[in-house]
Amino acid sequence: MSEDLYKAISKAVMEGEDGEATRRVNEALKAGLPPIEVMHRGIVAGISKAGELWKANEYFLPDVIMAADAFKAAMAIIKPRLEEGEGVRKSKKVVMGVVQGDVHDLGKSLVIAMLTSAGFEVIDLGIDVPLQKFIDAAREHQPHILGLGAYMTTTMLEMKGIIAELEKQGLRRKLKVMVGGVPTSQEFADQVGADAWGKDALDAMQKALRL
Amino acid sequence: MANPMLEIIRGLIYGNVLPIGRLSPSARVFATLMGKRGDIVPFLSPQIHDHAMTVAKVPARKYYFDAGLLVDTQTAVERWYGFDAPMITTDNYNFEIEALGAKMVYSDYGMPAVDTNQPLIKERADLDKLGELDPSKGRISVGVEIARLSAKKGLGVFANGLFCSPFSFICLATGYPKAVRALRKDQAYARELFDFAENKAIFPYLKAQARAGVKQSIGADAWAAFPNLTPEMVDEWVVPSALRLKERGKKELKMNVMAGTAAADYCEEDPAKFNKEIMFKCWAVTRKLLPMDMTMTIMGRTQDWNMEWVQEFAVKNGKWGRKLPIYASLNGRFVRDSTPQQIVDKIREWINIMGRDGRLLFFIGNVPADAPPVNVHTALQAVHKLGHYPISKDLSAITIEPHKFTPFDEWLKGQPEADTIFKAREKK
Repeated sequence: MSEDLYKAISKAVMEGEDGEATRRVNEALKAGLPPIEVMHRGIVAGISKAGELWKANEYFLPDVIMAADAFKAAMAIIKPRLEEGEGVRKSKKVVMGVVQGDVHDLGKSLVIAMLTSAGFEVIDLGIDVPLQKFIDAAREHQPHILGLGAYMTTTMLEMKGIIAELEKQGLRRKLKVMVGGVPTSQEFADQVGADAWGKDALDAMQKALRL
Repeated sequence: MANPMLEIIRGLIYGNVLPIGRLSPSARVFATLMGKRGDIVPFLSPQIHDHAMTVAKVPARKYYFDAGLLVDTQTAVERWYGFDAPMITTDNYNFEIEALGAKMVYSDYGMPAVDTNQPLIKERADLDKLGELDPSKGRISVGVEIARLSAKKGLGVFANGLFCSPFSFICLATGYPKAVRALRKDQAYARELFDFAENKAIFPYLKAQARAGVKQSIGADAWAAFPNLTPEMVDEWVVPSALRLKERGKKELKMNVMAGTAAADYCEEDPAKFNKEIMFKCWAVTRKLLPMDMTMTIMGRTQDWNMEWVQEFAVKNGKWGRKLPIYASLNGRFVRDSTPQQIVDKIREWINIMGRDGRLLFFIGNVPADAPPVNVHTALQAVHKLGHYPISKDLSAITIEPHKFTPFDEWLKGQPEADTIFKAREKK
């Protein structure tokens, strides 16, 4: 019975059926299944499977969006239960934002969905984030990773200034910096002194796990 | 450009009957597209608006609001580089949505952008509240003027109006995830969105362009590139929408309306996922949207592609013993991040694979603002030298040194655009 429910949740998330995913999660919680198991064996298993299909060219961005929707809907139900009870141990903290002058949100949202699914605690600074806000957040939250996103060739240049300022203020030594977004590249990441470049949401999550 | 009709005829004769003498840049393009080949592989002007602004050091808050400045700046920068066919572009995606009242972010450094966190269309009911685009609002008059000036400045058949294609408009108005959700899960709503985009947002803009004498208009649609949409989704939604706009434009405006540019463009970023079957599907759908039959690449990570696949597709789908023309686009980030030598090597490889039998055109998919000019100059020089017909049997024997060029400011002095550009730099 429990195995069937985990599989049904996983399938619903993977297929992007948000209504079905939430219905099954509620059913699982009502049946007394541990929230942490529902999350890992159902919800996270589903989004991970979607990620695998994306990697294998069987899923495309619309499929990933649908799966991320279902993932979010299912997580919204499970999250309060996790916080009440067993809790979830966060392995690493990530502060993330889109640089100043840039208001593109999609890539960041996908990366956050992936990082959350992998157990990271993510502090989302939003879009159009000024340099000083990144610096303040690095100081206040002391994250393991700072994620910088940009969508335009003009705004991506902001990243270099942010990393230089982190160095200047002595915040860079214990902090890993990841960059990403359509116009960025590994070469660009190397140039600006980032520790890693996420070419897509899944890649960002995998690299974040290795940092 | 000289008389465009004569250029076309010259290109046709050279490409099909009498390949003798040296062609003008535009005749070279026509010979390649409509004949077997020209005298040299042509290099078309890329989408270059942000880069041109940076090279010419003009402020974004003037450049994107002043049609004369934008057209002059791009014309000058493109001529400085020496592209074979001119093209004027701008932030094509923003005009309709801005005029409809979307929240925009204006910057000192780059083009205006739509704030997709405050979407224009949050729910179905917003469609009724919005009403039809009023061409006196936003920067519609700037967009119309850009098209009018492009024609006036002698771009000939390369002059056109610009607009945002329906699917990209929907993405900007609702946010991409909502647009995709509608296509996948609420098709009635998706149809309403397309209807609004085509008839209430885009068509009034096209009407304003037609009133100013614009004869053709091209609609950018990068949001419909792969993998944002699958080729099947482009075929189901984007192609019929483009055909509806084309039909209405022809009937009511006597205008050639070409929506869906860059839809189904193969933009997979991960080389490990490159897939020949999917690429072929994408190119097959793209052909339905093009004004003439060709193999089109625009924004993809082409530096890592196997170009034998592109050549294979072009040959397989050609007619009368000729392959389809190949519109081969160097990736903008590749041009920015590579050394001049890496760019030369890539061009050498591509000409070797796709250029020997003619019908090859080079392009760059959106030159980044900060791309080093030496890289763009070197790319031009390499294409024109290595792509000289008949192509050398041993291309590796031809060396191309990084191009030595006159700095833009020095070159600009005495050019017709000098006053406009120098004046725009003054703080006011």
